[in-house]
Amino acid sequence: MSDTANGLTKGKKVVSTVCASHCGGSCLLKVHVKDGVIIRIETDDGEEPQLRACWRGRAYRQRVYAKDRVLYPMKRIGERGEGKFERISWDEALNTVAEQLKQVRDTYGPEAVVLMMVTGDVHFLHQRGPLIKALSLSGGFTPVWGITSFHQGLSASLCNYGTIHTANTRNDLVNSRLIIMWGWDPAKTIMGANTSWYVARSREAGCRIISVDPQYTNSAATFAEQWIPIRPGTDCAMLLAMAYVMINEKLYDKNFINTYTTGFDKFENYVTGKEDGIPKTPSWAEEITGAPASSIEKLAKMYATIKPAALMAGISPGRTAYGEQYHRAAITLAAMAGNVGVHGGDAAGRAWESCFPGYPYKMGFIEATFAGPGFAPNPAEKPAHEKVAAYFGKKVPFLASGIHCSKLADAILKGKAGGYPVDYKMIYIAYSNYVTQWPDLNKVVKALKALEFVAVQEQFMTPTAKFADILLPVNTYMERNDFTVGVGEAFVGRINQVIEPLGESKSGLQIAIELAKYLGIDKLVDKDEQEMVDEYAQGNMVPDLEKFKKEATYKIKLSEPYVVFKDQIKDPANNPFPTPSGKIEIYSQELAEMNIPGFPPIPKYIETWESRKDPLARKYPLQMINTHFRRRSLSQFDSIPWLRELEYQPVLISSEDARARNIADGEMVRVFNDRGEMVIRARVTERIIPGVVDVPHGAWYDPDKKGVDRGGCANMLTSDELSPSGGFAYNTVLVQVEKISDHGRAQIRTV
Amino acid sequence: MQMAFYLDQTRCTGCYTCVIACKDWHDVPAGPATWRRVLTIEKGKYPEPFVAFLSVSCYHCQEPACVSVCPVNAITKRSEDGIVVVDQDACLGKDRCGSCFDACPYDAPQFGSEEDAKVQKCNFCIGRLQIGKQPVCVAGCPMRALDAGSMEEMKAKYGLMQEAVGFSYDEKLRPSILFKCKPEMPTT
Repeated sequence: MSDTANGLTKGKKVVSTVCASHCGGSCLLKVHVKDGVIIRIETDDGEEPQLRACWRGRAYRQRVYAKDRVLYPMKRIGERGEGKFERISWDEALNTVAEQLKQVRDTYGPEAVVLMMVTGDVHFLHQRGPLIKALSLSGGFTPVWGITSFHQGLSASLCNYGTIHTANTRNDLVNSRLIIMWGWDPAKTIMGANTSWYVARSREAGCRIISVDPQYTNSAATFAEQWIPIRPGTDCAMLLAMAYVMINEKLYDKNFINTYTTGFDKFENYVTGKEDGIPKTPSWAEEITGAPASSIEKLAKMYATIKPAALMAGISPGRTAYGEQYHRAAITLAAMAGNVGVHGGDAAGRAWESCFPGYPYKMGFIEATFAGPGFAPNPAEKPAHEKVAAYFGKKVPFLASGIHCSKLADAILKGKAGGYPVDYKMIYIAYSNYVTQWPDLNKVVKALKALEFVAVQEQFMTPTAKFADILLPVNTYMERNDFTVGVGEAFVGRINQVIEPLGESKSGLQIAIELAKYLGIDKLVDKDEQEMVDEYAQGNMVPDLEKFKKEATYKIKLSEPYVVFKDQIKDPANNPFPTPSGKIEIYSQELAEMNIPGFPPIPKYIETWESRKDPLARKYPLQMINTHFRRRSLSQFDSIPWLRELEYQPVLISSEDARARNIADGEMVRVFNDRGEMVIRARVTERIIPGVVDVPHGAWYDPDKKGVDRGGCANMLTSDELSPSGGFAYNTVLVQVEKISDHGRAQIRTV
Repeated sequence: MQMAFYLDQTRCTGCYTCVIACKDWHDVPAGPATWRRVLTIEKGKYPEPFVAFLSVSCYHCQEPACVSVCPVNAITKRSEDGIVVVDQDACLGKDRCGSCFDACPYDAPQFGSEEDAKVQKCNFCIGRLQIGKQPVCVAGCPMRALDAGSMEEMKAKYGLMQEAVGFSYDEKLRPSILFKCKPEMPTT
C-alpha cells in the first residue's frame, strides 16, 4: 500500500512518532499534518513518565522545510568545498558512484574505498547495515572504527566491568541521596528524555547535588548546591585524591572491595604513594586540577558516607588524552563506596549510557537482515593493526578492523608511504558530518581534496556535503519508518512516516537498495520497510502492533527502576561479572599483559599532552574544551532559524582571561593554534574556570579564502592524536585567544 | 475568573522548550517577536557565580497597562477568564503607536520585523483551553516547571509566592503569575 493510499497527503491529522535526533532523548512527537504538510508539533501528553521533547524536537518542522536541505541528487561543478552543484537524476548519480566504485576497486583494490560512517539519527533501519551489506557484497571496502563520543568510557567499562552496559534507568536517580554531576550536564545533553526531571525530583526529595566541571553549567545552576571547578584532563587526579581520603580515613567499603573487586591492593599502593613515593593527596590534586584541596576532601567524605550516592561521571571528561584513566578511576571510586548494583547508586561506567536497560531487546534481527546468513564478509576487511583495537575488537566486533576515523585524514594524505596499510582513493560518507565533527579539520579538508572520488549522502548542504563529487539527498525521519529504543527510559519506539519525502530525497535504506542494483545486487533486502519494522516490534514483545503504530511508543512497565549489576551484588557466587576474574577489575591482568603505553593495569593519573604544563602552553596558554550546545544536537540543527536566534556561537572565556586580553563581552576574537584559526564572538563569563575556553561543539565549518573558519567550528583546533584505547581527545587542546584589531574586523563577516 | 501561570523557578533549566513550542504552535517565525522568552539572570563572580532562569510570557495582568494605554482598544481583557487578547486589525502598529510596548514592564507586547508590524503576544492558548488542553508551553515543559489554571486553583496548589529572581511584582498591574522562587544564592 502506498503512503498516499494511507492518507499521508490528504486532510488533517496527527501522527505520533519518535524523535531520532542524536541526543539520547528519543522523545515522543505528535505531528500535526495538513494536506501533507507539517503544521505543528506537540509532545507526549499521555501517562507519566511522558517523553516530553526538547526545544530541538519541537523545532523539527523548520528542519524538515529548511531552505538548505538537499532535495535532489547533485553533481559538483565547482571546487570541492565550494558548494557549487548541478542537479542530476538519481540514475546518473547512482551510476556515477557505482562506476567510480568499480574503477577504484579494479585499479587499486577494494580496500582503497573507505566507507566513512558513524551513527546519524538514532534508529536502526536507515543506518549503516544496508550500506555495509551493499558495499560488501559488491566487492568490499575499508571500514572505519572509533567512537567519537565515548571511546574512553567504553574501554574503561570493558576493562573494569567486562561489559559496555553499565547504566541504570534514569528514574533510579530519585533514590539517590547524593548525586555528583561530574562533567555531566543533562540540562543540555539530555541522554534520557526525563534525566533532568529525575534529578530535580531527587533534589526535592532531599538529595544533595554537587557539580565538578570546568564550567558552571545550566545543570549546576539549577540543581547543584556547590560547583567545584576543575581543569580539563585532570579529573582522574581529583578522583584519586578522593580515593586517598577514603583510604586514609578508612571510609571505604572494605567488604564490597573484598567481595566484588580484584587488585585493590595495587591501586591502594599507588594512591598512598607506596608504589611511586607520591601520595595522591588532595593538595597534590589541587596543584594539578585547580580544585581546592578542602573541596576535594569534603566531597570524598560526602561520597563515602552519604548512601546511596550516584557518581554521574559524564563522557565529556573522558574525551581527553588518557581519558580511560578518569573513567576507570570513577568506576573504582564507585566500588570503594559500595555504590555499584544498589538503588540510588551508579556504577559510574559510561558507554552506551542507559541504552537497553533491563530489557531483553533483540537486535539480532538487524544482524540477520544485514549481516547474517547469506551475508558475504567484507573482502577488504583487514585485521586491526593496532593491538588495543584488536583487544576491544574481541568484545565489540565492529571496532576490529579498518582505519580509525580520527586518523583517516592522516591516512589518506600519507598512505602506505606513511605507514598506513592502504593508499586510499575513494570515500563514501554517510551518517556523518565529517567536515565539522572530526579533529584537525584542516587535515580533513586537505585529505578530501586529495581523493579521486568523494560520494556523500546528506540531508543538508553541510560543510561535508560541499565536498561531494556526487551528493545524494537523504530524507528526514519524518519521511520514513523505523524503530528505536529508549535511552534512560524503558521503551520501544516506532518512527512513523509522517509526510511524503520532500523533493527526490530518499531514506538511507532506499539509497542502499538502489545503489546495490547498480552494483549488480538485485535484491539487497527481501522485506519492505513496514514488514521490517513490524518484525522488529514482534521480536521485542510489543503486544499490539496496531496500537504501537498509533502511539509510537511501547512503554515497558518495570516493577522498580532497573539497576545494573544488581544480580552480581546480591548473589556473586552465581553471577560473576563478565570479566576474566569474574570481579570488578580495579587491576586488569589483560591490560598488564598488553602493556600499552598510557594504559596501565590500574587507573593512574597521566598528564595529557597539551596540558597547561606543556612547553607549548607558553605559546598557546589556554586549554580549549568543546561542550555540547543547546541549539544543536552534535552538528545537527545548526542552520535552523528558531534555534539559531536563541544563542550565538561563542567562545566562552573567563572574565579574568578576557581582561588580560582586553576583550569585551560580544567582541569578535581570533582563536588559534598551529593547526588552525577561527574568528568568533567572545562570551565573557564568570561561569568558566580561568585558563580554559569553550568553543561549543558542532558548529558548521565556514572558511574564508585563507582557510580561517568563521563558523566557530571547534575542530579547526583539535588534534587527531588518539588516547591509548583509540579514544578521541577533543578536550585536550591548547589555543590562544586574541582580540581582533579594527582592521581585522572589517575583513570578517559575522555569523 | 482570572487565568494564571505558575513557574517553578527551582526546576527551570533555561532550556527554551517553552519558547519553541510557543513559536511552533502559534506559527511565529524567527525574529524579534517571541511570545514566551527565557531570561538568564547571572550574578556573582567566579568561583561563586549565581545563575537563574526565568521563563516569561504575558502575565495577563489584572489591571493591564497595555489595555489602558491602547488608543484604539486593540488590546482587551476578557471578562470571562481575564485573558488579555489583541486585535491586530485594530492595532495602529509599532511605527505609528507602540504605546503598549512602552507601557508593559514585562515586554509582553511583541512586534515582528515586518514593516508596520502589528502587536502580537501570548493569548494563553485560548484555542487549546477550549479543547481542554493546557497552554502549549505548560504541556511541553520537560521539567514540568510550568503550570496554568485559574488563579484560585494555582494559589491552592502552589501558595502565594509572587517573587522570583529577575521578576518584580507590579502592585498596580497585578500580574497573574505565581512562583516557586529560586533561593538567591545556593546554600553551601
